Amino acid sequence: MYAIELKDVVKDYTQCGQPAVDKLSLRVSHGEIVTLLGPSGCGKTTTLRLIAGFERADSGSIYLAGSAVSDGRRFVPPERRGIGMVFQDYALFPHLTVAQNVGFGCKAAERATRTREMLALVGLPDFGDRYPHQLSGGQQQRVALARALAPRPVVVLLDEPFSNLDADLRGQMRSEVKRILNQAGATAVLVTHDQKDALAISDRIVVMCGGTLQQEGTPREIYQFPENRFVASFVGESNILCGKVGDSGNTVQTLLGEVPCSHTHDKPPGSQVCVSIRPESLELDPHGQVAGVVKEYHYSGQSIDARIETLGEFPQELTVHIHPEHSAQIGDTLRFRILPEFVAVIRAEETIKTIA
Amino acid sequence: MTSDNKAAITPATTRHNPWVRLWCGKPPSLFLLGIATAVTAVMAIPIIYVLIQGVQADPARWRLLLDQRIPALLQRSLGLAVTVTSLALLVGAPLAWLVTRTDLPGRDVWHWLLALPMVIPPYVGAMTYIIVFGPRGLMWRSFGSTFLDVYSFTGVSLVLASFTFPYVFLLASSSLRRMNRNYEEAAAVAGLSPAQALLRVTLPLLRPALGAGALLVALYVLADFGAVNMLRYSTFTTAIFYQIGSFDQSSAAILSVVLVSLTVLLLYLENRAKAGVRYSSVRGTWHCRQPVRLGKLKPLAMAFVTTVFLFTAVLPLAVLIFWSVTGIANGALDQRFFGFALNSFVTAGAAALIAGILALPVVYLRRRHPGAVSAFLNRLSYTGYSLPGVIVALGMIFLFNNYVRFLYGTAFMLILAYVVRFMPQSLQATETALSQVPPQLEEAAQSLGFSPGRVLRRVTAPLAVPGVMAGVSFVFVSALKELPATLLLRPAGMDTLAVRIWIEASEAFYHSAAPAALLIVLLSILPLKWMLSKY
Repeated sequence: MYAIELKDVVKDYTQCGQPAVDKLSLRVSHGEIVTLLGPSGCGKTTTLRLIAGFERADSGSIYLAGSAVSDGRRFVPPERRGIGMVFQDYALFPHLTVAQNVGFGCKAAERATRTREMLALVGLPDFGDRYPHQLSGGQQQRVALARALAPRPVVVLLDEPFSNLDADLRGQMRSEVKRILNQAGATAVLVTHDQKDALAISDRIVVMCGGTLQQEGTPREIYQFPENRFVASFVGESNILCGKVGDSGNTVQTLLGEVPCSHTHDKPPGSQVCVSIRPESLELDPHGQVAGVVKEYHYSGQSIDARIETLGEFPQELTVHIHPEHSAQIGDTLRFRILPEFVAVIRAEETIKTIA
Repeated sequence: MTSDNKAAITPATTRHNPWVRLWCGKPPSLFLLGIATAVTAVMAIPIIYVLIQGVQADPARWRLLLDQRIPALLQRSLGLAVTVTSLALLVGAPLAWLVTRTDLPGRDVWHWLLALPMVIPPYVGAMTYIIVFGPRGLMWRSFGSTFLDVYSFTGVSLVLASFTFPYVFLLASSSLRRMNRNYEEAAAVAGLSPAQALLRVTLPLLRPALGAGALLVALYVLADFGAVNMLRYSTFTTAIFYQIGSFDQSSAAILSVVLVSLTVLLLYLENRAKAGVRYSSVRGTWHCRQPVRLGKLKPLAMAFVTTVFLFTAVLPLAVLIFWSVTGIANGALDQRFFGFALNSFVTAGAAALIAGILALPVVYLRRRHPGAVSAFLNRLSYTGYSLPGVIVALGMIFLFNNYVRFLYGTAFMLILAYVVRFMPQSLQATETALSQVPPQLEEAAQSLGFSPGRVLRRVTAPLAVPGVMAGVSFVFVSALKELPATLLLRPAGMDTLAVRIWIEASEAFYHSAAPAALLIVLLSILPLKWMLSKY
């Protein structure tokens, strides 16, 4: 039994053939933290609102803790689904104190104890008497999380939880939210367009685009082995090259030459494929196989992000990250070697499209 | 997740359910829809009934009126509306600019003071002008000349413009305040002088707000009965009033059809202007900018502002206070006065409460269950908006006379007329109040296990109440000031403050009229606070 199960869910607001969510199927196990990741308009928020019951699916079924909450026959309204939700702007009730907000959904008998427990869990034990407007952004978020967790929901849904926080606080709240969710043993579905949020907090990431699922997997799987061009370029940066699987099966023959690749989807030698090469897998090496001229670069502190043009018969533009201890000037010729761990063959149908 | 509640768990296949699709996937409960529809019907039926009566009237009578009365009335009504609107623009727009953009001394105070004339009902204003400038008035007795013939077209225009220009002033200054000042700075950078920037950048951006203000004034003039009647000028409203008084309801209905057509035309124009206001009021980053220096023109600007204030606020208020003191010294605050006040408070209070309560289902339906149906109901419940009181009264007379005889001539009929006429104010205030409760708050409560009814009680209501109360106070004050419908519908022997002012003033017993008028003015100041914070 899954905490959440979606089967072929369709939601079409406009009824004009481009559904917001298109035949989406998804399973979330108990205690898992799953992130729906995608650009705006990819259907991730709609999926969240369908699970919550704020929107009705046009077809397909949704199960929470094994029982159907939305299918062809029935629709359970949000207040009867036993979910907790953290809204993008927190939606704390401005007319209630922090304690009243946290205890809002609890049964009267356990309200006081539960409120205390939750405020302690989120690290705000002495803030019960304040009003939401007297809290900072990070504190408001903790209260929103405490309020969502207090009634012991089947699942907690978080809609863009970090988008209203500034960069410093964001990193801090990512680990804090993860700690709180794990400590509460909660099942959580989180929606974000920020890959850093997704990679940092999730047990599993679901990448969405155009209302459909593109790839699901652990953060490492998603980043190291993107399955298609969209995932490769949306989650992190990538260089995509076309080529042929080499004879040994763990290299790909490209315009850069023989590229080592540990993730070839077991394609037989000789098949046409594309590879995604992360900038991190191009390492500066005076004896490396790839040589290129720096066309432009910018210094970000942690690294030098440069575009290089390879030498040779068929010049290619590549993005590389150079360690900031080195210096690079436009026009310099640099050599790189390719680390196999961050090279992945991307899905075949994408390959065909690219070649055509 | 129990299934005992049938209303809560409903079929979910929406793709093929036209009812659910009509509501964009969120159909309301039938209970809410039923109440909202009933409220809307009550709001719209009286006026629709008048229109039907008018359209179906004897063609011979139509011809007679079209030949003899309507052309003259059109000319008089439109002439007055155009003149007053132009005057209001000429006074209101420069004042708005002076108060928001220049180094005029005491700008913040002027913003308040120049809104003050709005709380003086034009018929009370007219009375004070008659006292001062009328034949045998204060001027005539002091200087031997009246300076101004209040009973002339000029007199009527000046009086009406004096008490309506704040609409233009407030809308224009609110628009100026919100206007992104980067536009003006961009104009300056592009080499335009302040005067050129004013003409080529600020004024075009201000045009929608000025249009909206002008149309409000025009609507007001078309609907006004008290002031034009006291100043003996005849328009559609007074003509309809006297036709009803002489029991010629069918002529009254015909004239109403023409007047409603005019009003609808203006409303259409106002709607278009409003859409423009929203478009242009892009908020910029707010900075405290250097105001335009008036320099040598400062005394001139001060003289202008002071003169307007003197004639539109100081003069009427001073006259009212003087005559009130005289009246009170002569025992004007007697048993009868308190009786009139009580009548006023009870009818206006009842109307305000009813309007406040009835607005809730209509607005709630529109905001939380958007769709064609709720938009239509919402529009329909605004029918009474800025329609003259005489037409609402005529609708009430028709309906109660034909269908609810046993309530004919009771205070209930009058209260209902107030509700129909002023409900839009309550609708607007409630709409604003509800829009300040973001839907996420309701969704948050729902996700915490609260049914829609409990969400309404625990979250929406506590947050929306202040705004709803503002609406109630608007309706209360408007009903308190209302004159024509009150004159036509009040039960025999039940006079209100407004009615007494009209009767006493028409017999030149100003010391009896003044205390009631002053009381109404003072009470009207209360909602001004909300209005000013809104604009």
